[in-house]
Amino acid sequence: MATTRAQPDFRTRLQDWLPRIVLSPSIAMMFVFVYGFIVFTIYLSFTDSRMLPSYDWVGIENYVRLWGLRAWWTAVINLGIFASLYIVICTAIGLSLAIFLDQKIRGEGLLRPIYLYPMALSFIVTGTAWKWIMDPGIGIENTMHLWGWESFEFRWIKDRDMAIYTVVIAAVWQTSGFVMAMFLAGLRGIDNEMLKAAQIDGASNWNLYRRIVIPLLRPAFLSAFVILAHLAIKSYDLIVALTGGGPGRATELPATFMYSYTFTRNSMGIGAASAVIMLMSIAAIMTPYLYAELREKK
Amino acid sequence: MARAVTTNRKVINTAFAWGIGLLIFFPILWTILTSFKTEATAIADPPVFLFFDWTLENYQVVQERSNYARFLWNSVIIAGGSTVLGIIIAIPAAWSMAFVPSRRTKDILLWMLSTKMLPAVGVLYPIYLIFIELGLLDTRIGLVIVLMLINLPIIVWMLYTYFREIPGEILEASRMDGASLRDEILYVLTPMAVPGIASTLLLNFILAWNEAFWTLNLTAAKAAPLTAFIASYSSPEGLFYAKLSAASTMAIAPILILGWFSQKQLVRGLTFGAVK
Repeated sequence: MATTRAQPDFRTRLQDWLPRIVLSPSIAMMFVFVYGFIVFTIYLSFTDSRMLPSYDWVGIENYVRLWGLRAWWTAVINLGIFASLYIVICTAIGLSLAIFLDQKIRGEGLLRPIYLYPMALSFIVTGTAWKWIMDPGIGIENTMHLWGWESFEFRWIKDRDMAIYTVVIAAVWQTSGFVMAMFLAGLRGIDNEMLKAAQIDGASNWNLYRRIVIPLLRPAFLSAFVILAHLAIKSYDLIVALTGGGPGRATELPATFMYSYTFTRNSMGIGAASAVIMLMSIAAIMTPYLYAELREKK
Repeated sequence: MARAVTTNRKVINTAFAWGIGLLIFFPILWTILTSFKTEATAIADPPVFLFFDWTLENYQVVQERSNYARFLWNSVIIAGGSTVLGIIIAIPAAWSMAFVPSRRTKDILLWMLSTKMLPAVGVLYPIYLIFIELGLLDTRIGLVIVLMLINLPIIVWMLYTYFREIPGEILEASRMDGASLRDEILYVLTPMAVPGIASTLLLNFILAWNEAFWTLNLTAAKAAPLTAFIASYSSPEGLFYAKLSAASTMAIAPILILGWFSQKQLVRGLTFGAVK
């Protein structure tokens, strides 16, 4: 075929360049949208922007003030509690469900979508539904009272110290089935022969999972971690629907902090600084993962 | 790696797995059932599960009070528009990377996916300011563009993975037979790419439908989609339990139907290809 192209005319030259030409709009758009805009946000974080952007450079003042704010510390500590519980519980439930489903369960084809359903819903829906379920007036507490269990009490959502755990409950409900699907795919990819051999050698079930299966699932653990961690840092809609950041400011997370600080307190500079910190923490989690992926596939 | 297990264990496992499934599905099921009850039955003591007089009254009230149809229409336009626009822009890019890969293709793909993981707050200000400048706040077209940009990396990447599965030999064979680039795309590539495009369409429709950060922050009344509709109903004051249930059932119904057909895409798309 190459010989017919000895003297490339315009058409064939165009054909050669076409792939690159058609690829460029997508890349350009993403480049501007992501990096251009992020650079702008970073720039804003070094200015004294309030309600509108200003271009007066103030150095790291916004960052200093941000870390001096009680509300920001609350948000960061909340994120720490939320993210660690969310990641650990989702992984634990997801893995156990996957191991269960892997035991030749009857009706697995019907069960899998049921486990996955919550993930297809918007976090707004999840937040709203759980807000009702956990509301003392109309939710579980009320139902238990109606059923005659008068002393039953479940009002975490109204409790400053416990409200953050209701966010964990709702988020775990939404994502566990999805994590299960990831682990299930990992389990199905494991070579049966190896396990049979181990069983013949007398390995107990427990040892089989601990020594062979779980180590082999390392890639699934890694992906689950990265996906759950970035979902946690990005969490915004769930909080808005479930607690609205309350009671008081007890369940504020960095993303909701950023929004309320900008639009109700007119401090764009400080809001931008908090956005930059969120961006950097996600980048810190993602970069090693992407590097590992890259090396693997090359 | 399913292993042989004894019948007894199997029954216990199955029962347990279904128990968990019921637990997970219960909030959804209960909401749907409650939406068909009267307010009095909804808070009846003891709660009734299935045997009550089914009524559509709540749906009527919700529609009258908050004009569900308008929110629904906005959702359809925004989710549909952004998905179709995204696919049109992404098809050439995915085609190029799948069939004429270069040394950098893998890097470009990973870079694209990495942008999808960054938090939306990082670009909120510039978008907000541009929207004010161009008068795009609370317009459907503005949201169509933003959601298209948000999901473009996933669209390109998903299409790429589907296109990759199309054997290149077929294209070469058609070229040998003298097919022009146009013929190749129209008669050979397109028919084979349709299932992949349909899957991508479905997933991104759901993603755009569920998107709340941008729809809540960039709309007020005119262009607000169903996510805003639910958020406006989220205050449980007044205890109109059955009506709240009707509102949320109406909001999730499209996803309950689409979700059933898109489980595979959901896992594949949301794990960034870690799971196929």
